[in-house]
Amino acid sequence: MLATLSNLIPQNVAFPTGGMDLAFYVVTFIILVTAVCTVAVKNILQSAVFLIFSFVATAILYLLLHAEFTALAQVMVYVGGVVIFVVFTILLTSRLGEDAFAVKIPRIFAAFALSIIFVLVMVKCLLPIEGLSNGVVAAPEGYASLKAFALRLLGYGEDGLVIPFEVVSILLLMTLICAITIARKGKEEEEK
Amino acid sequence: MFVPSITHPVGDFIREWVPKLSAYLPEQLQSQTLDSIAAFLINALLCVIAVCAVNIGSAPILIYMERKVCAHVQCRLGPMRLGWHGTLQTIADVIKMLFKEVYSPSGADKLMFYVAPMIVLIAPFIIAALIPFDHNLIVADIDMGIPMIIAVNGFGVLGILLGGWSSNNKYSLLGALRSGAQMISYEISFAMILLFVVMISGSTSLMDIAQAQDGTVLDWFIFKIPLLGFIAFILFFISSTAEMNRAPFDIAEAEQELTGGYHTEYNGTPFAMFYLAEYIALVTNSALAATCFLGGFHAPCIGVEAIDTYLQMVPGVVWLFAKIYFMIWCYMMVRWTFVRPRVDQLMDFEWKFLLPVNLVLLAAGAVWMIFVG
Repeated sequence: MLATLSNLIPQNVAFPTGGMDLAFYVVTFIILVTAVCTVAVKNILQSAVFLIFSFVATAILYLLLHAEFTALAQVMVYVGGVVIFVVFTILLTSRLGEDAFAVKIPRIFAAFALSIIFVLVMVKCLLPIEGLSNGVVAAPEGYASLKAFALRLLGYGEDGLVIPFEVVSILLLMTLICAITIARKGKEEEEK
Repeated sequence: MFVPSITHPVGDFIREWVPKLSAYLPEQLQSQTLDSIAAFLINALLCVIAVCAVNIGSAPILIYMERKVCAHVQCRLGPMRLGWHGTLQTIADVIKMLFKEVYSPSGADKLMFYVAPMIVLIAPFIIAALIPFDHNLIVADIDMGIPMIIAVNGFGVLGILLGGWSSNNKYSLLGALRSGAQMISYEISFAMILLFVVMISGSTSLMDIAQAQDGTVLDWFIFKIPLLGFIAFILFFISSTAEMNRAPFDIAEAEQELTGGYHTEYNGTPFAMFYLAEYIALVTNSALAATCFLGGFHAPCIGVEAIDTYLQMVPGVVWLFAKIYFMIWCYMMVRWTFVRPRVDQLMDFEWKFLLPVNLVLLAAGAVWMIFVG
């Protein structure tokens, strides 16, 4: 029965026939719906929650591409870090959602124009790429695994990235020290 | 057609038997695709049942155990009337809880109010799927077990924050903010200790971590590195207690100050879900401690062959559950023994003591790995 069904579909058309393709379309649909909800919902906390679901769905998309560490980093950084702090900030603001902003028509028009231009540019740039729908995977086996990833990240060979890594870590150290300096009590304040 | 399948001995066994059984079906229904789909569905169902059985099944046992341990510490008897030594009491409580009417306070954000308990349950269920219960008894033997655990822990904070905010109650909001700040802070040292374990074992897969502790008791990570392993274990114990919001770090709930914290306004099934998440977190954190430090599913061999052969006849599941329940007993004894610190003391303890000690421990572990390991 399944065989006859799949025979109905012409072979050369890129159409969801496998489990991975179907999963891709389902995940993309979820990303789109949650992304639209993020900007459309009136309550700002609800939009933060939809943003989280959108990020999680993006992580699942990375999983489908076999980039496991990127997916986990996405969940770790965005769900566990960024959005939690956004939620924290929202919770600490008083009078939440009382003055829901009204959207005026020129803004809607500008948004439509911008998004149509964006879609046109994307289509123009993406369609000429060869093998976009039926290309073969070029990366070797285990290219995105944690071990290979870490060895590349900390390697000092030709494709090693140890210098950018160290530069970023110095930046992180700077932000940490800055945060401590800001949060720290002054001497006069402590004596009070 | 591509059908996802997980390579696994138990799964292989089912994949082997499904075609043999489908040979009895009528001719038209036999096809390789259908067989692989059926095998995949059966495997998935088995995984779901296994995780649910461990998680939901252990909750009533833990509630009964908590009551008895608490009673023991406070020189009471605990539940005694319903069933033998009150064993039916928790089941009666669960039934009572499930039949209560579910309602939300007026002015509450209904959507967030009912979504929050479900979000809290995500993390414990995912972590339970990663724990190796025996050489072949693991639901998801993935390469990145430890990063996965650190990643999904964020959902717990999220659920508590949402639950506290959507209740439209200032005590709930205060409790949620406190517990969010606490869990975010202690997550850092929690992740650091797991990093220490990863450094010693050289792998992020929980199966490999458990396998690396094969041998005698001295090969367990708690004893493998002299002193450092034990310190790491104690730090893990402290940070996981705070991570779970259990006493003495239960400033999120603090009955005396906050009337119960983030779940003040919850009742019936949503409250049961918060409660369930708390107790499943107890199981998963104990299982994590047992896997990372106490040898996982390996028997506590002592190097004497006559005794070791008998110890190894006991299946690994039994050993793991013995270790898990020992850890849970430790968590419960700590809960009913120590006093609760103040909020600022708790945060000072994390940022000024636990985190620096963790960093030193990590460096010392690296030095040990270079010169000895």
